Amino acid sequence: MRAVCWHGKHDVRVDEVADPQIVSKGDVIVKVALTCICGSDLHLYNGYVPTMKKGDILGHEFVGEVVEAGSGVTRFHVGDRVIVPFPISCGVCWYCKHELWSLCDNSNPNSWMLEHLYGDTGGGIFGYSHMYGGFSGGQAEYVRVPFADVGLEKIPDGIPYEQVVLLTDICPTGYQAADNCNINPGDTVAVWGCGPVGLMAMMSARHLGAERVIGIDRFPDRLQMAHSQCQAEVLNYEEVDVAEALQNMTGGRGPDSCIDAVGLEAVGTGIEGIYDSVKQTLRLENDRASALRQLTKACRKGGTLSIVGVYSGFIDKFPMGAIFAKGLTLHAGQAHVHKYLPHLLKLVQEQQLNPSSIITHRLPLEEAPRGYKTFLNKQDACIKIVLNPQAQGAAATPGSEQASAG
Amino acid sequence: MDPSETERSQSREWRRETRVNVGPAERKASVIGGAALAVSGLRCISKRNYASGLAMMLAGGMFLYRGQTGHCGIYDAMGVDTVHTHNSALTIEKAVTIGLPPNEVYEFWRNLENLPRFMRHLESVQVTGARTSHWKAVGPGGISAEWDAEMMEDVPGQQISWHSVGEADVPNKGSVEFREAPGYRGTEVKVTIDYYPPGGGAGRAAAKLAQGINSQQLEEDLKRLKQILEVGEETTARRTVQ
Ligand SMILES: [Zn+2]
Ligand SMILES: [Zn+2]
Repeated sequence: MRAVCWHGKHDVRVDEVADPQIVSKGDVIVKVALTCICGSDLHLYNGYVPTMKKGDILGHEFVGEVVEAGSGVTRFHVGDRVIVPFPISCGVCWYCKHELWSLCDNSNPNSWMLEHLYGDTGGGIFGYSHMYGGFSGGQAEYVRVPFADVGLEKIPDGIPYEQVVLLTDICPTGYQAADNCNINPGDTVAVWGCGPVGLMAMMSARHLGAERVIGIDRFPDRLQMAHSQCQAEVLNYEEVDVAEALQNMTGGRGPDSCIDAVGLEAVGTGIEGIYDSVKQTLRLENDRASALRQLTKACRKGGTLSIVGVYSGFIDKFPMGAIFAKGLTLHAGQAHVHKYLPHLLKLVQEQQLNPSSIITHRLPLEEAPRGYKTFLNKQDACIKIVLNPQAQGAAATPGSEQASAG
Repeated sequence: MDPSETERSQSREWRRETRVNVGPAERKASVIGGAALAVSGLRCISKRNYASGLAMMLAGGMFLYRGQTGHCGIYDAMGVDTVHTHNSALTIEKAVTIGLPPNEVYEFWRNLENLPRFMRHLESVQVTGARTSHWKAVGPGGISAEWDAEMMEDVPGQQISWHSVGEADVPNKGSVEFREAPGYRGTEVKVTIDYYPPGGGAGRAAAKLAQGINSQQLEEDLKRLKQILEVGEETTARRTVQ
C-alpha cells in the first residue's frame, strides 16, 4: 500500500509499504477514506520528536471502512464506516474505566520511555513516534486498529466522511478544552491560537453557553475565521498588549477561562541533553511560555486555565505565584476522545456542529509532502488539510468510493 | 542515636557525591562493560533504534561513570557498598497495580512457567519439583545464564519467594507480594529481586545487569504482566504478523 512516511526533518515521502494485517484478535483493518495533517504532525515534521524512525507511517486523524476484523471483534463488521479516535485505549484498565481514555495504562508498549522524565505517561497514539507506542499511522491506504471494539464509532448513514474526520482529534480536543472550563452563563472564554483546535474550542465554548468568546492569534486569515465561524471577538497579539486588552474588554475582571490552544513547537524533549534539537526546543519553549504567562496574567481570579496545546518538556519562569495568588485552576492533557465522540457525533447529525467548515485544503495522499510544506508555512490561508488515499488523481477514483463517502 | 553516629551519618550525606563505593575489580569491569554498552547504545541511536539505544546508553553510561569515579549512583541509591561488603546484593524493587483480585494474580505467578511470558530476559522456567524449578535467561549477544531455584515462601494470594540454589551463574533471590489495592483498584504487586554479582562484580555481572536484569527491565516486565492479565495479551504496535 501507499503511506506517508517520515524520513527526517522536513522530509516526508509517499512510500510503498507492506499492507497491515490482523495481529491481535481485537484488531480491525481500516481502509482509510480521509486522513488529516494535524498541527502536532508538524512537531514530527520539524524533527523535534527524538523517537521517530525512518519509515514510520504518520497520521493520527483518519476515518474509513472496516475491511477485515479479528476473531475477537464483536461490534464491527466488514463494510462498517468508522471514526477512529487518535488515542488508543484498552477499555479495561482503571483509567479507561474512569473515562480517562487517553491515559490508558495498557495501550502504549513503550510507556517506559517517558517514565523516567514524567513518572508515568499516557497511552498509545497512532503515527506519533515510538514513545507513544510506535503504532503505524493513518496517512496510508490501510491501518491496523487495535482494541477496535473499544475505540471505534460507527458513522451513521448519510453523513459524509468529511463531516466526521475532525471528530478523531480536533473536535474532541477543542471540546474538552471548553468542557474543562466549567462554563457558566455570562462567562467570557479567551482562546490563544486560532488554528483548528482553537476554532473548535471556541465553537464548543459557545455551545456550552459562553456569553463571549475571544480569539487570539497573529494570522489575519485565522482571526477572520474565528470571527466568521465562531462569532468570536478577535485580538492580534502582534498589535496589542493582550493581557491589557482583555482586561479592558471585560470590565477589568479578565476572562473567566483561558484556553491555550497554541501548542509547543516541540514534542519529546524527554531526552534532554542528547540531541541538538533539544536546545532549539528549549528556546522555543521559553518563547511559548510567554503565551502561558499571558494566560495566567489575563485570567480572572478564581478562573480556569485549560491547556490543550501540546507541552512536553520544561518551562522557564512558570508563573506559579500568579496561579497561587489568583487561585486559578489548571486543566491539561490529551483529549479523552472516546468520552466525547457520541455527543459530538450527535451534534454533527443534528447539524449543530459543522466541523468541515474549517477544512481549507483537500489533496490526494500523493501530495502529502506538498501539504506538509504548505501547512508548516501557513501558506495559502491553510488551516486544515485533508488527504484522500483513495484518490489517485480524480479520474481514477472508483464511483463506489464516492457513494460510500456521500 | 548517639552524637558520633549522627555526625558520621551527616558526613556520609555530605560526601555522598564523591565517595568511592565501588571496589577496584569491579571498577575495571565496569569500565569495560560500561564503555561497550555505551558505544553500542550510541550505535543504536545513530541507526535510530532509540528504544534499545537509550536503555543501553543509560545503563552503559552509568557503568562507565562509576568505573571512572569509583562512585555508582545506582549503588548509592540502593545503599550498596562493594568496597566494604563483598556479598551485598544489587536490589531491584518495582511495583505495579493490576485490576484483578490478588488470588488471580497470585495464581498466574504461582505457575512459574508463566514468567517468561512477561519477563523478557527469561527464556524458560521449568518446574522440576514441588518447590524446585530450573531457570534459563538470555541477553543480547547470546550471553546466557542458568540456575536452579527453590521456593521458600508460598502464601496463597499473598506472597511467593524463591532463591537460586547450587552453582548459579548469577546467584539471586526474589519475592513477590500481592496486596489488595484500595478502592477496588485491584492488586498491588511488589517484586523485589536481589542479585549477587559474582566475586563482588565481574564484567559479566555488569553486562548482565545492563542487558536485562536491571530495574528498567523489571518495570517493563511488570507492565507486560499487567497487559496479559488485564487485556489478555501483550500489547503490540506491530503492523504485520512476523
Ligand atoms: Zn491531531
Ligand atoms: Zn486502558
